[in-house]
Amino acid sequence: MPEASHLAGLTYIVPELSLLGTAALAMFAHLFLPRRGRRLAGLVSLAGYAAAAGLLVLMPQTHGEVFSGALTADPFALYFKLSFLLAAVLTVVFAFRFFDVEKSEPGEVYYLLPLAVIGMMAAASSVDLITTYVAFELFAIPSYVLAGIFKKDNRSAEAGLKYFFLGTLSSGVMLLGMALVLGLTGETGYRAVAGVLATANSRVALTGMALFFAGLLFKGALVPFHQWAPDVYEGAPTPLVVFLSTAPKAAVFALLVRAMTLLFGRFEVQWSTLLQVVAIASMFWGNIAALLQRNVKRLLAYSSIAQAGTMAIGLAAWGETGRLAVLFYVVVYVVMNAAAFGMVLLVRKGQGFGENVEDFRGLVRKSPLAAASILVVLLSLTGIPPTAGFMGKYFLFAAAVDKGLYVLAVAGAVNSVISLFYYFRIGRAMFLEDDPAEAPLDGSPNPRLVLAAAALVLLVLGILPSLLGRFAAAAVLGR
Amino acid sequence: MTIGFPLLTAIVAFPLAGMLAVLFLPRSRPGAVKLAANVITGLEFLLTLGLVAGFDPAAAGMQFVERADWIPAFHAQYYVGIDGISLLLILLASLLTFVATLSSWRAVGERVKEYYAFMLLLEVGMIGVFISLDLVLFYVFWEVMLVPMYFLIGIWGGARKLYAAIKFFLYTLFGSVVMLVGILLLYSHHHTFDLTAMIASGSPLPGALQTWAFLAFFLGFAIKVPMFPFHTWLPDAHVEAPTAGSVLLAGVLLKMGTYGFVRFSLPLLPDASRKFVPLLVALALIAIVYGALVSLMQKDMKRLVAYSSVSHMGFVMLGLFTFSPLAVKGAVLQMINHGLSTGALFLVVGVLYERRHTRQISEFGGLSARMPLYAAVFLIMTMSSIGLPGLNGFIGEFMILMGAWTVNWVWAAVAATGIVLGAGYMLWLYQRVMFGRLENPANQSLKDLSPRELATFLPLIVLVFWIGVFPKPFLRVLDKPVERILQIVQPGPEARLTGGEPAGVPRPLKPGRSTLSREGL
Repeated sequence: MPEASHLAGLTYIVPELSLLGTAALAMFAHLFLPRRGRRLAGLVSLAGYAAAAGLLVLMPQTHGEVFSGALTADPFALYFKLSFLLAAVLTVVFAFRFFDVEKSEPGEVYYLLPLAVIGMMAAASSVDLITTYVAFELFAIPSYVLAGIFKKDNRSAEAGLKYFFLGTLSSGVMLLGMALVLGLTGETGYRAVAGVLATANSRVALTGMALFFAGLLFKGALVPFHQWAPDVYEGAPTPLVVFLSTAPKAAVFALLVRAMTLLFGRFEVQWSTLLQVVAIASMFWGNIAALLQRNVKRLLAYSSIAQAGTMAIGLAAWGETGRLAVLFYVVVYVVMNAAAFGMVLLVRKGQGFGENVEDFRGLVRKSPLAAASILVVLLSLTGIPPTAGFMGKYFLFAAAVDKGLYVLAVAGAVNSVISLFYYFRIGRAMFLEDDPAEAPLDGSPNPRLVLAAAALVLLVLGILPSLLGRFAAAAVLGR
Repeated sequence: MTIGFPLLTAIVAFPLAGMLAVLFLPRSRPGAVKLAANVITGLEFLLTLGLVAGFDPAAAGMQFVERADWIPAFHAQYYVGIDGISLLLILLASLLTFVATLSSWRAVGERVKEYYAFMLLLEVGMIGVFISLDLVLFYVFWEVMLVPMYFLIGIWGGARKLYAAIKFFLYTLFGSVVMLVGILLLYSHHHTFDLTAMIASGSPLPGALQTWAFLAFFLGFAIKVPMFPFHTWLPDAHVEAPTAGSVLLAGVLLKMGTYGFVRFSLPLLPDASRKFVPLLVALALIAIVYGALVSLMQKDMKRLVAYSSVSHMGFVMLGLFTFSPLAVKGAVLQMINHGLSTGALFLVVGVLYERRHTRQISEFGGLSARMPLYAAVFLIMTMSSIGLPGLNGFIGEFMILMGAWTVNWVWAAVAATGIVLGAGYMLWLYQRVMFGRLENPANQSLKDLSPRELATFLPLIVLVFWIGVFPKPFLRVLDKPVERILQIVQPGPEARLTGGEPAGVPRPLKPGRSTLSREGL
């Protein structure tokens, strides 16, 4: 009976449902409580993320499909869902301080974020073309609003609008790809589609696949679909960039990995070639463009294009080793990129925060802990041991070399060196230069503490990567 | 051989713990920080002496081995152990760190805590590199050193410190990441990162892949050595680094490159190593002569010593790639010798710089009258660097030349010109700085070495004489490891015949000569 099976399926989406409840609660808190209510809404959403994470771990999992083959709840999905929640929590903590300083607290953030997270969670567990598209839009639409949440700030408004126009275009492209696949196979479930694709006309299938992936690559800000990222990341409010630069990328990689393993497994070699080109182009383009930036947010935007390219190495090196490396790197990326953008909430400049590289001059004298934490984050982004970023790159390169993709590994290695140059412009400013302006440190210790915690995590995972690798290994998608 | 107490782990963990301890000392008490750092590096040296007590020179294979799972998913282990080669280098590293720490007592006035923390972190990396037998572990330690060195140059360096620091970082990181790809290449073949297991498997990487892996390792190590033409970061880094930084850079960090060749390239990639002998020997010979010639031209004392390192490290590379046991042992010994004498020479330059804040040779002259003790120390180290018989430099260079001669007399002849030039630039330097009339009024009131400064030189002087007069204990620990490595690179006498010719022309060896080279000293 379909009804009975749907009811049974509900147990697998309890965390998502709880998060939906959180969003509703936060919305009511925001609407009906005056002023103070906004912060309360934020606290409600934090509690909601914690509850959802707890439920995710406690509730049963299944490798099978629920809701008539629309969703699954396997360890792979669980792993990604936890990483989305992590990104959301970091975002909210940073947002508290940011809104205090801006003296404006758009409470909508506190229920738009959970809604976006629900979309991503659905995307991570989706095994059906239509569910995938709906989930994709479900996290894309709140993202557009979040980028433009400061309506009166021109930069924020422009970021939101730009993100929206280009985002919908990419959704359309993706939908076209899905339509081709659907038309070719007459199926929407991943497994069923893959079954028909095994013998289908490969030219149509490849076109569909390319369009489908183009949409995803856009959302992941990979070259050649990356142009929106620097403008959006620079313009959007910093704490929301923490979210926009991490969680959607993680979701995209969840979708890519699943689609490649389940849906287009037959075209392994073709998509590997495509992704090698994308990975190499993203790494070089992102890193070289980042060399020219003065604004830290813009610099990090280009760097995250390069980081996504690095992650794509693991996809291009198909097989379980590559997928394991991607899983490991995704979580590391979320932590280090969130911390990197959080860095922009440390130094005050005028009414807001210092966003340029030179604003970080002499930071080590103002707060040695903050400077040391940022140093660890930068080392991790560059991929220098003993940090988690190195371990992630080492796994990725190992997967590539194992598959004989030497050019890819060398390109990744060379890009570490290029990236060192601009990451260490920040390092140099913090440690080797003095600040003539004596810009004050921000009063709140919270962002600094979050940064220190992130640095500690990156160090511990850099020395004992198995702490995370164990879970990644358990979550790797089999065929 | 496994022993109960994890001595190697203790040796690598102790400076790390020391670093954390130093970081938690109050900033307002720089004296306490300095004292703590000196005590820590001193104790660390004593700890490494514990290795000597338990070391068995007759044992084949690695000693003090410790092994534990580290990253099971990618087959990386915490696997450490030492043989005679690593033993000597560990002792050198811990001794020079102690000496460098002691020498910075007065030189470092600002950001004292950070300075000593970086020194201790550097020591962790240096020791770690020499004990790692797992390639991932090795790589981690190898890179860990970059960051403290970057800051030592960048914060406490000279006028162009920012440029020199990032140049050092970019150059060496570039070499390292390419080496990482080489390591992964080995992994894709052996499916382990365990060095001894890779060697024991007896099946090195096949054909072209081995060549590529060799080139990848070559880039990483050659930049570190530094071999001509990858040496351009070295003069900048040395000149801008603070004295202690230069001591460790020249004394230990450069050795990591040559250590890498002898520990990894030769036994893991024997066929490619043989194939590249002509190239490596040619580069080594160029470095010997070129480094010496450029040294002759220098007006800055520190730059002169820096370029002399290029020349001396050329000797070490020549020794390694002759594949003659005598020369390889000489090369390893020469690594130690160079660490002692060049480390000491940087200290010598540092003493003057601390007093006069200049290193221009033309600023000095006739100092021997004012500073007799200093003159004596400087002279001993000059002679050691030149290779005066009775001092350490002679033993190493002689062994390398002897070994090279048995393989190809041309190599020995070219290298010998390096020794002549070396005597030229060092003696000329000494003459210009120490002899003549004391004319510059700024030099009139120079103080001679303080007891602390003398204490920093003392252990180096003792070793310079010890190795020069009685090198046997040092060479004895090298017998087994060198023999083992050469067995892999040069399996039989037939292979040796084709191995070492620059033009690829086999030149038969007289059997008597090769016996001589083996028995040698």
